Amino acid sequence: MTLNQALAIINSRKDGGGEKKLHYLVCGFEPLHLKTFFRAHLFERLPAGDVEVHNGVYGDLPGNLAIAAESPAIGAAVVLEWSDIDPRLGLRSSGGWSEDIKPDILFSAQQCYAYVETALRKLVSRMPAVVVPPSLPLLPIGSTVQAQASIMELELEQQLAAMLIRISKLSGVRILQRSRMDRIPVLERLDVKMELLVGFPYTVSFADVLAGSLADVLYQPVAKKGLITDLDETLWSGIVGEVGVEQVSWHQEHHTQTHGLYQQMLGHLASCGVLLAVCSKNELSTVETALARKDLFFKGDSIFPVCANWEPKSQSVARILRTWNIGEDAVVFVDDSLMELDEVKRAFPGITCLQFPGRDAGKVWHLLCELRDLFGKPLLMEEDRLRQASIRASTQIHEMGGSANSHEFLRSLNGIVTLDWRLDPSEKRPLELINKTNQFNLNGLRISQGEWQKHLEDRNTVLAVVSYTDKFGPLGKVAVVLGTKTKGMLKVSHWVTSCRAFSRRLEHHTLHSLFRHADVEEIQFAFRATDKNQPLQEFFQAIGIERDPEGIYRLSRATFFAKDEVLPHRTQDLIR
Amino acid sequence: MNDIQKRVIRCFANVFPNLREEEIQRASTSSLAAWDSVAHVTLLSAIAEEFGQTFELEDFEELVSYQLIVDHLENKARQA
Repeated sequence: MTLNQALAIINSRKDGGGEKKLHYLVCGFEPLHLKTFFRAHLFERLPAGDVEVHNGVYGDLPGNLAIAAESPAIGAAVVLEWSDIDPRLGLRSSGGWSEDIKPDILFSAQQCYAYVETALRKLVSRMPAVVVPPSLPLLPIGSTVQAQASIMELELEQQLAAMLIRISKLSGVRILQRSRMDRIPVLERLDVKMELLVGFPYTVSFADVLAGSLADVLYQPVAKKGLITDLDETLWSGIVGEVGVEQVSWHQEHHTQTHGLYQQMLGHLASCGVLLAVCSKNELSTVETALARKDLFFKGDSIFPVCANWEPKSQSVARILRTWNIGEDAVVFVDDSLMELDEVKRAFPGITCLQFPGRDAGKVWHLLCELRDLFGKPLLMEEDRLRQASIRASTQIHEMGGSANSHEFLRSLNGIVTLDWRLDPSEKRPLELINKTNQFNLNGLRISQGEWQKHLEDRNTVLAVVSYTDKFGPLGKVAVVLGTKTKGMLKVSHWVTSCRAFSRRLEHHTLHSLFRHADVEEIQFAFRATDKNQPLQEFFQAIGIERDPEGIYRLSRATFFAKDEVLPHRTQDLIR
Repeated sequence: MNDIQKRVIRCFANVFPNLREEEIQRASTSSLAAWDSVAHVTLLSAIAEEFGQTFELEDFEELVSYQLIVDHLENKARQA
C-alpha cells in the first residue's frame, strides 16, 4: 500500500456512519505515517463502520501506555523502539554510549521493561494488544566490527527476549513475529532524515509493512477447524494399493522426507485440536493396515473418519463434513491431484483446496507455512484438545440409533450441564465461540475482543458460559449467551451453541437456567436469520419463539415453562 | 493544467480532503489552518512518493505553498 493509497482509503471510509471503532497506537516516537497506514489497514480488515486511531505524546511510552489503558479503545498496538528502552539508544539523544555509560543503559533498560510489563498488564485487562519489539538497528554501540556481535548488544537482546517471554504469557498480549518484518531489510527500515526532522524513525515502505502486520495480528482470520488429506503421494510416497503397505514411505533415507514433514505437520495440528480425516481412493482394509503402521510420524488414531473407497472424492468429503458437523468453509482439503482438488472444489466451493506438491521441497515448505496460517490462533484452549474426542462421542451417540433424541436415552448419558455466570475477562473461550459458531447462532454477529471486554465491564450484562460432560467424556465449554438485563427483562444479543453439542437439549437447559438465574419474566432475542443458522431457527420454531407484531422475538417465562418438560441432565452453577 | 499540477492536486486532496481544487491552488501554510507540521510532512511524503523523489531538509522549510511545490517539481523536471 502506498501512502497516497492509505490516505485515499481513509478519506473514502471515514465519517461514513456506523459505529466508530477506536484503536490506540502506543509508541514513544511521532506516529505520523505509521498511524495513517495502521488506520488504512484496519479499515481494510473491518468492513463496517468507522475506524479511528488515537496516540499519545512524543517521548513518553510509559505515560502513553497508561493513557491507552484508560481509553475506550477496543484494541491497541504497542510499538517499542530502542529509544523507548533508553533515550540514549535513540538518534535524537546526546547522552552518548561510551563504555562507562553502557552499564547504566543496561540498568535503565531493565527498569523500562519492568514498567512496560506492569503497564501492559493493565492495558490488556481492557483490550487486546499487539506488541512490537524494536525493529530498527541499534546505534553503532558495539566495540566490535559490525560483523561481530558485541556483549552490550547481546545483553540488550537478552533482556528484551526475557521481557517478551514474560508478557507473551499475559492473556490478551500478542507479540508480533520479528521475522515478519524481514520483507524490509533492517537497513531500509530506518529513515534517519525523518527521525531527526520530525521524530518519525521509519521509511514509508516499512511503516506500511509494520502497520499491515499490526492489523494482521490484531484481526486474525477465523482458524480452520479440519483438514482432509489424501494418502497416496500426499501422506506418503507411493500408491499403497500397488506397492503394498510396507513399501510406501515418508523417510529421509528413502528421499521421501517431504511426506514425513507433512505427517509431522499433521501430528502438530492434531495436537492443537485440528480435526483430521482421510479421503482416499483405495480399499478401506489396505488403508486401515497402512494407517496402523507404527512408524507414522503422527498417531494414526488422530484421524477420524477414514473414508477410503472408489467413489468421487466429493462424496467422501460430504460424509466427513456430516460426521464433523462443521461448515465447508472451516475445512482444508489436501491432495496431490489437481483433478481431485477441482472435483471437490466444484462440489464445495467454500473448502480451501491445496495441492500437495510432491517432492518439490521448496513448495512443501510453503505448504507447511500456509497450513500454520490457516489453522493458527492466538491462544490454544482446553476445548481444542477435547474437540476430536467429542466428535467421536457424538458419532457413537448417533450410531446408537433413532433413540438418540429420546428423554430416556439422554438421561442414560448421566450428563452434567454447568453454567458459569461469572464475568471473567481472562476467559477467552466464550468470545471464540461467538466468533466462530455458525449453525446455532442467534444472528451471526461477531464482536472484537475489545468490544467483548466492554460488555464485561457493564454491570447489567448477563453472561452464561455453558459446559457439558457425560459418560462419553467432557465437551468443554460449548455454548454462550450474552445479554443485558433491564426492568425484569433480559435482552439477549448473542447466543451460540457449538455443533458438537447438538441433540443433547442443552438449549432447553440454557433457557431454563436463564429464567432462573436472571430472574426475569421475559427474554428478548436479537434474532436475525443467516444463511447458516437453520438449526437455531428450527429450535425457535419448536419452542414457539416467533416475531411479534412489533418485530421483536420474545419468550415469556409463562410460555416457556408451560411447554418445558423435565430436563434430562443435572445442572450446576458457577457464580463466584 | 499540466500533469505535474494534476498529480500535486491529487496528493493535496488526499491530505486535505475537504479542499476544493481552486482552494488547493491557493493553499499555503499561512492560509490553511489544517496545514500544520504533521500535515506538512504527510503532504511532502505523499508528493515524494507520487513523483519518486526525495526532499531535502531545507525543502521541508521552503515548500510551504501549493505554488512553491509545483514550481519546485517543474524545475526538477526541467533539469532532468
